[in-house]
Amino acid sequence: MDDFPIDKIQISGATLASLLHRSSAAAGDIHGYLFGYATVSTSNSLSDHPSTTAATSLLIATITSFISLPSHLPLPPPPPATNSTALVGWFSARRRTPLRPSLKDSTTSISLSSSPTLAFTPQNSTITLPPSLFLLITTPFQDQLIHTHEYKAFQCKGNAFDPKSISIVNIGPSFRSQYDSFSPNVQFPMMDCELRGSNAMIEDSRGESLADGKRNLKDQKQLDTFSDGFEIKRLGKLMGSEAAYTDELEDLYDKMLAKFDGLSKLVEQTNAKVLEQENRNMKLRYRVAGLE
Amino acid sequence: MAIDTVPPLINAQLTYLITHSPFPVKVEQMWSGSKNPRLLDRFTLVIPYCLDYIRWDVIYNAMYPLAAPDVIFGPDDESFQPYFGGNEKSSKNGLADWNSKDPARLLALILELRAAYVAYQRRRIGEVDDERLKFEISTLVSREGIEMYMSSINDKPEEVKFAVPLLDIDLNKLVAGSTWRHPQKIRLQVIFPVGKKYSTPPAPRLKLISSAELKALYSIEDFKLPSWLEGMCTAEYLIIVEEMLESQIKNAVSSIETRRKLIMALAPIFGRPIEADPVFCRKATFLASSGVFTFLVHFSLSLQFPKQPPAIILQSSQHFNSYGVPIKSPNLTEYPWSPRWEPSKMADRIFDFLVDESLNFKKYCGQLIQ
Repeated sequence: MDDFPIDKIQISGATLASLLHRSSAAAGDIHGYLFGYATVSTSNSLSDHPSTTAATSLLIATITSFISLPSHLPLPPPPPATNSTALVGWFSARRRTPLRPSLKDSTTSISLSSSPTLAFTPQNSTITLPPSLFLLITTPFQDQLIHTHEYKAFQCKGNAFDPKSISIVNIGPSFRSQYDSFSPNVQFPMMDCELRGSNAMIEDSRGESLADGKRNLKDQKQLDTFSDGFEIKRLGKLMGSEAAYTDELEDLYDKMLAKFDGLSKLVEQTNAKVLEQENRNMKLRYRVAGLE
Repeated sequence: MAIDTVPPLINAQLTYLITHSPFPVKVEQMWSGSKNPRLLDRFTLVIPYCLDYIRWDVIYNAMYPLAAPDVIFGPDDESFQPYFGGNEKSSKNGLADWNSKDPARLLALILELRAAYVAYQRRRIGEVDDERLKFEISTLVSREGIEMYMSSINDKPEEVKFAVPLLDIDLNKLVAGSTWRHPQKIRLQVIFPVGKKYSTPPAPRLKLISSAELKALYSIEDFKLPSWLEGMCTAEYLIIVEEMLESQIKNAVSSIETRRKLIMALAPIFGRPIEADPVFCRKATFLASSGVFTFLVHFSLSLQFPKQPPAIILQSSQHFNSYGVPIKSPNLTEYPWSPRWEPSKMADRIFDFLVDESLNFKKYCGQLIQ
């Protein structure tokens, strides 16, 4: 497999921020996979440098999402690439360590970048690219108020780390040139549901197996709880007089706020439970480590 | 939980490493990588290599001390990938099936990595395009325990250091009853400049270095390195140095006996020594009295004994200064002495000298406390 040099690494500001937050919120060190896509672009070859020929194509890797888990757990088997996202590399976040790849970093990077099954094909090109990106996140040795994180990106090429600069893509006029390469990919949970009345549901379920029907029923129920109080027929009420319109809208708005309130309470409760479990786990870990 | 503690599993591994390592390993700093509780789980090891030190950061995880540690090598060694040396992958290494309950695992890992590092530096230096260096390596490579290090500036090789262990004898066994913990070695450091073209290659920089504890037996500073002749290679030079060194070490070992004889000759006159160095016979302390004035006599015998007389310090057991510290005489080295005397005569003459000197010392003590 040829190791093509990546010319540019892009990451959205939001993704980087959430990655940094995840690593600083974790109790210990974390690592995980980086997902995204790569494109070969030939349009961005405007350069003042005389030596670069106009025909140079740039290989740009973009990181769009990631998964993370504590470092002591091994990385899971990588998921298969989809049309829009592929495994482009991995990251390791460890507090207060030098910003250099460690023994484990190099072994993991080399094994990832040298496994042909994980290679993917960048958009508008015919080459295959292994997941060779490595993003290292550390914190300074002394706690500091402003400078709280350090990161460095590498491409693992033939058993060696090649430091790469990383450019952060945000929304705004100065990033307009990047809009052309933007491809939206929002992942909603896969729920095979349609908007339908109760009698339509009975009709549909005739041809389906019992298990399928059950699952659909469950999904539909879940969807119904989300749309509870926002039925389609209420839209009709918005068509009346102006007073009715305002009342109806205010009512809908109040309901929405109530739903948000309920949702945030739920989040609060589950967070408390997660924290409780975390503390319990921590105590168990301490007992195992002989710290009690 | 106490602040800044080392988790016991990690501590056991580290303590074992420090006490059982065949070379002295030091911990430079320890710190914590966890968020809230201050559990020290990372440390920098200072490991002797090629007559210098390499610093490796060992990264444990206090959140999960059962897991194997990670190691970060020095900033100049980013291409050192011990488990991917060459093309063959070694499936078995010190990190595979890590057992946190076995305190010897960290030491085994560090030894394995250090051996890999020796091979890595040797491979790197083998790749340097330098005629003389290639020749030197081909003649030296058969020597056991040789270590090499290449320093570079801006990715260009600058100089190559060799640390060549001298004398194929176990110095620890040479001295009966020695308490040396680490194997004692004398090494020759040879530094070659590389990557530059010379009409006549300059002599390498040479330095003889011994392990610290060896100083009790033999002082490497007393050794005068023979001069490097033009066109010489290290292998030739080593033969000359080793010959000289071997005879000097032999003398050093036999001089232990000479020192022991003097201490034994002092015993019938001063009584049994209350403290004496039985291994190297460099120090002995006797209790003596002159009338009612009792005092200690400290003898320290230099490596040049019997050419140099023993240095004597008298210490009163009755006079103390204002801090409660016993009063001591200055170092007494000027007294009648001949290296050709028999040990019994040396002892007699020292005794004669001290008979008079003790009176002076008593007077001196009396003046000091008034």
